[in-house]
Amino acid sequence: MIEVKNLTKKYGSNLAVDNISFHIKKGEIVGFLGPNGAGKSTTMNMITGYLSATGGNATIAGYDVLDEALEARRHVGYLPEQPPLYMDMTVNEYLSFVFDLKKVRHKTKKDHLAEVCKLVDIEHVRHRIIGNLSKGYKQRVGIAQALIGDPDVLILDEPTVGLDPNQIVEIRDMIKGLGRERTIILSTHILPEVSAVCERVLVINKGVIVADGSADQLTAGVSNDIRYIARIEGKTDEVLGILSGIEGVIEAKLQKQVGAVGGDFAITLESEDVRKKIFFAMADREIPILSMQADTVTLEDVFATLTANDSTKLIFDQEEEGNE
Amino acid sequence: MLAIFKREMRAYFTDPLGYVFLAVFLFVCNLNFYLSNLTNFQSDFSPIFLNMILFLTLLIPLMTMRLWSDEKKQKTDQLLLTAPVSTTSVVLGKFSAAMALFLIGLAFTVVYPILVNAKGVLDVGKTVGNYVGIILVAAAYISISLFVSSLTKSQIVSAICSILALALFVGMDLLVNFSTSPILNTIFVFLSLVTRYRNIFIGVLPLSDIFYFISVTGIFLFLTSRVIEKQRWS
Repeated sequence: MIEVKNLTKKYGSNLAVDNISFHIKKGEIVGFLGPNGAGKSTTMNMITGYLSATGGNATIAGYDVLDEALEARRHVGYLPEQPPLYMDMTVNEYLSFVFDLKKVRHKTKKDHLAEVCKLVDIEHVRHRIIGNLSKGYKQRVGIAQALIGDPDVLILDEPTVGLDPNQIVEIRDMIKGLGRERTIILSTHILPEVSAVCERVLVINKGVIVADGSADQLTAGVSNDIRYIARIEGKTDEVLGILSGIEGVIEAKLQKQVGAVGGDFAITLESEDVRKKIFFAMADREIPILSMQADTVTLEDVFATLTANDSTKLIFDQEEEGNE
Repeated sequence: MLAIFKREMRAYFTDPLGYVFLAVFLFVCNLNFYLSNLTNFQSDFSPIFLNMILFLTLLIPLMTMRLWSDEKKQKTDQLLLTAPVSTTSVVLGKFSAAMALFLIGLAFTVVYPILVNAKGVLDVGKTVGNYVGIILVAAAYISISLFVSSLTKSQIVSAICSILALALFVGMDLLVNFSTSPILNTIFVFLSLVTRYRNIFIGVLPLSDIFYFISVTGIFLFLTSRVIEKQRWS
């Protein structure tokens, strides 16, 4: 659905996007992840045809975004970083303008606007001036604008920025719902958003794609270790002694002292089954285990690893797994 | 194009800008009509139009300053430039909205010839010629100011630069006084709006002058769409 080949953007001598290529299939929800200034917005602006590329090209539904711009744009709904709203119009007037602007033919205006407003839950503010709406509602109107004309591809630049926690959850659910029939690219620097919404993640850093895969693949790619944090009430030396004696414990160390005796121990295991051995070993010595929880690698860790070290790359082919 | 036209017209009349333009325009026109026609028992309208040429250089930039500058500032140009419409049609939509606002104002002044015709002798040809002339001038003004507006994010900068550009456009033949080069002088006179309007003023509408105004309008509309399009390539 979206094909990007060797896309490059230079601002003067500053390389904003450096030779990136990717392919997005129909119906995929893809997250663009990256620190501020990584080139996410620039890439999106190039895919939507708002900016031209210095090199390479992008096609949407088979149409080149610059050479066959009007055809390509017909397939795209775009929410830029700052929603393009006219503050002096009411929501209704604005959406009606967008409907006319996009030359939507296959639907009647009244029904389509009602449908879109229902989808993003702005029915009750339709007669209000956009400038007077709260940030969350402005954002929703921005999303509504992108949805007009039922485009197959939605490109959303930081759709949940500035929303309150409840709204963030609502908008994420909405995007997930929309993704059933559409191809969606959304950019964010909020990691949980990606794991919550996207099937596939593209991590961009300094204009280069440094990782491509599902959230699970990426976390597994950084570390496959099974790590647990156990709170054990016992003397540190004694506990570490017992732990190191158990077969299957790769590494054990005190992470944090809690109370007079005992603390949180970080334990790396060969397999999940080793937990039982730890339980019985501690029970034999009458040392209570107060809690034990998995210390999973989060996308934060992946992100930190990838963006701290320029040479690390994690590219997963969508068909076969494996590090490149 | 129609969508843009409708939006801009709506904006003119929800914002005070459209009303302010019409009020100031008609106030100045009425004052001119009163002073030059009513108090002098004069049936010739050309002085009104000559004055219009001058004060429109101040009024039209105020009417067009918003058209692109505001879009850029609010980043709403992202919507226009990623919508399935050509840049040219967006530019034409904005131009025709500004033109329509001017024509609404001009329509009110048709009262003057009607009044004069009722009580005196009206030179119909000259009056019609002047109306056609002022519409051509306004089109050129709007086109130039729209172009200036496409260059900046600031409405104030847009207005001031447009006023300067229009003043230069009107006063081009005055530059002759400062130049001794015959080639430059010929160019100044050729490009000057005042030289062009002299014929129209006395009631003649030469095709070359009509073509001149249409060319200026066309060139600046083209340049505007190029400037907008060029942002993609920055």
